[in-house]
Amino acid sequence: MSNAVLEADNVFYSYSRKGVKVLNGMCIDVPKGKKTALLGCNGAGKSTLFSVLNALYEPDDGKVLYNDKPLTYKHKDIIKMRTDVSILFQNPNDMIFKPYVEQDVAFGPENLKLSKEEVEARVSEALFTVGMEKYRKFPIMKLSYGQRKRVTLAGVLAMRPSVLIMDEPTAGLDPQMAYEVMEIAEQLNASGVTVIMSSHDTDLTYSWSDEIRVLHGGQCMYSGVPEPFYSDHKKVQTAGLIRPSVFMMNKALHDLGRCELEPYPKTQTQLSVKISDCRDRNFGTLHILVAEIDTDIAKSLEDAGLTGVHSGIYGLSARLAADATGYQPNYRYNGPENCTMKCLSGEDAVLVCDSRMVDLAKSSADFINNNGYGKIDVKTI
Amino acid sequence: MDCVFELKDVVFAYQQKAEPILNGFSLEIERGVRTSILGCNGAGKTTFFNTLTGVNKPQSGEVLFNGNPVEYTKKGLMDLRSNVAVVLQNPDEQIFCSLVEEDIAFGPLNIGLDREEVERRVDRALKDVRLIGLNRRPLQQLSGGQRKRVAIAGALAMQPDILIMDEPTAGLDPQAAVEVMELAEKMSLRGVTVLISTHDIDLAYKWAETTNVFRNGAVAFRGNGDEFYSDIDNVYSCGLLAPSIFTMNKDVSAIKGMDPAPYPHNMCEITAKFGGSKKSGKLYLVPAEVENAVSKYEEIVKDAKDSTVGIYGSEVRFELQDKDIEFMFEGLDYCFTQAVKGKDTILIYDSIYAPTIQRQIDRLKEFGFDADTEVVG
Repeated sequence: MSNAVLEADNVFYSYSRKGVKVLNGMCIDVPKGKKTALLGCNGAGKSTLFSVLNALYEPDDGKVLYNDKPLTYKHKDIIKMRTDVSILFQNPNDMIFKPYVEQDVAFGPENLKLSKEEVEARVSEALFTVGMEKYRKFPIMKLSYGQRKRVTLAGVLAMRPSVLIMDEPTAGLDPQMAYEVMEIAEQLNASGVTVIMSSHDTDLTYSWSDEIRVLHGGQCMYSGVPEPFYSDHKKVQTAGLIRPSVFMMNKALHDLGRCELEPYPKTQTQLSVKISDCRDRNFGTLHILVAEIDTDIAKSLEDAGLTGVHSGIYGLSARLAADATGYQPNYRYNGPENCTMKCLSGEDAVLVCDSRMVDLAKSSADFINNNGYGKIDVKTI
Repeated sequence: MDCVFELKDVVFAYQQKAEPILNGFSLEIERGVRTSILGCNGAGKTTFFNTLTGVNKPQSGEVLFNGNPVEYTKKGLMDLRSNVAVVLQNPDEQIFCSLVEEDIAFGPLNIGLDREEVERRVDRALKDVRLIGLNRRPLQQLSGGQRKRVAIAGALAMQPDILIMDEPTAGLDPQAAVEVMELAEKMSLRGVTVLISTHDIDLAYKWAETTNVFRNGAVAFRGNGDEFYSDIDNVYSCGLLAPSIFTMNKDVSAIKGMDPAPYPHNMCEITAKFGGSKKSGKLYLVPAEVENAVSKYEEIVKDAKDSTVGIYGSEVRFELQDKDIEFMFEGLDYCFTQAVKGKDTILIYDSIYAPTIQRQIDRLKEFGFDADTEVVG
């Protein structure tokens, strides 16, 4: 039993018989339950690979394995696979099928021949997750690009996939929307979904992903954790990429003798910790308030004696609870990072957090505590 | 203030009874200043650009170009558009011809230039965007990134005073994005006023001198990016986030009890602020041209064997693409970071960028770092 949920084994593919082999002996795996980033320059074969992994294209040669079994390309098998593996294309206009929001989100589940009630429930949940419930009855034509992107994401979520493929999910989105899409991807992964995403943003993927796959000339040239790849400047250059700034700054600090190379900081907060070198200071406590959709945040904070403490928000149920009661946190975005930094500066902070996201929310505090950069008490309420 | 554009109380709606997209909009664009336009989707950025090029005629208010009101006559608009070039987000929306050189020549021919002048401009534009040799290539055979460069070349061939770029790096892979930003820098150095709208706040923060933020069809902020991002509630309400280098500087300064100013805008500056060695490494500055890039490279690496090498500028990079160079892209920032780290390093650059490099030397002085530089050749 391998750990791969999807695998391409020596796959060749070209768009016309005598055309360029866009995939040219591609061997790649998508590890189960992980967050994987697919990198490579324009024309490396990323989007084509995605279409092959989703059985939209049948390889000219080679095999695609899904849960260790080769795809048969029989109609029935493909339908079955696609209920499990969903793809979010780069351009939302490529995947909108119906004039109204709720119809479009329902399109996939209806095709699965689910009951009316089940479809209804899934549509509501999916629109909820992407924050588009208000627009349920809206004509899609009247929505902005970013809103359409969310509708298509809702359509994908309504399929309840166990594998989610995202092609450039943040392209064309403004910074807050891009952040929200990434948070949704985190949330899905935290609830067990395998996520693979292509992106040109090496900074973003470096902090997000567990592993990377780098494509070049229709083949996979690197597979694994990012650091060994980014340590080899020749490979990075050949792949058409640029090294992430957090990685480079950590290297700069190490060369200056300010810190060890490892552990590698993944986020700006973790890097700031290494730069600050503040292990002898007093730290604040990071309170994590686990919030369900119906939690009255202001009241819970009052009960815990945390009114007035700097606050951040993270995860779906926390956001919905905040919206429902009109609660305004100090940090609507990058909540875990901002709250951790507050603690480093010696003040307490409270993060209102979805129950499924608690581990992720603690990761920067764990980075600090486990590596001897300081001691931040984490209290979960 | 010397302004290329002044907009005063501009109101513009796409339909007569619709809600105006620009609603009492006033903004000045200063000549020669690197200017960024930020705002969330729907803030009015594209409508604003179309107002500058005369595509949108305001229902009320004034648009002044070089101090004179824009005339919405054929002659007035022709005059405006031969001076203001736009690169749209999606290159396919501004490609008119089937061959690369025809497409680039389209604009210059339209403003009635003679054949030789057009040819001269096309050649120069192709060189600037590094598409030499692809003159007769059909556009449909080019990749998205190459088509973007054709669109940019088309804008450059107009030799505009003002260059507007809407999301210039969107959809480009990281190396192509670096080259587009180098090109924007080159245009600034030639005296062109460059306006860039982007969702990439990190990039805009690094590049721009003046930051303009739009919200709901009005100007929510105009000025220095450091000042804008210091008010995080306002940043959120404009649909934006703070750039990561800004946040990092703010956080680390707070912890170390330091003043957040001066504000580092790139890696070498933040390294200088928080951990630079007192003594600079030797930074050899090697201005080069296409003709002598290879010989200069070979000479300098012979003299300074243990130094890492960086590149800035697409012409030199193209000539040296086969060499084993550690910082083939973003060489300027990386090489100065090496110097800050106390290591010897060589920066080879297109000679036009000398002022950009001097600017970095001066900026680092604000962080108390004196780079030990030597111009070679």
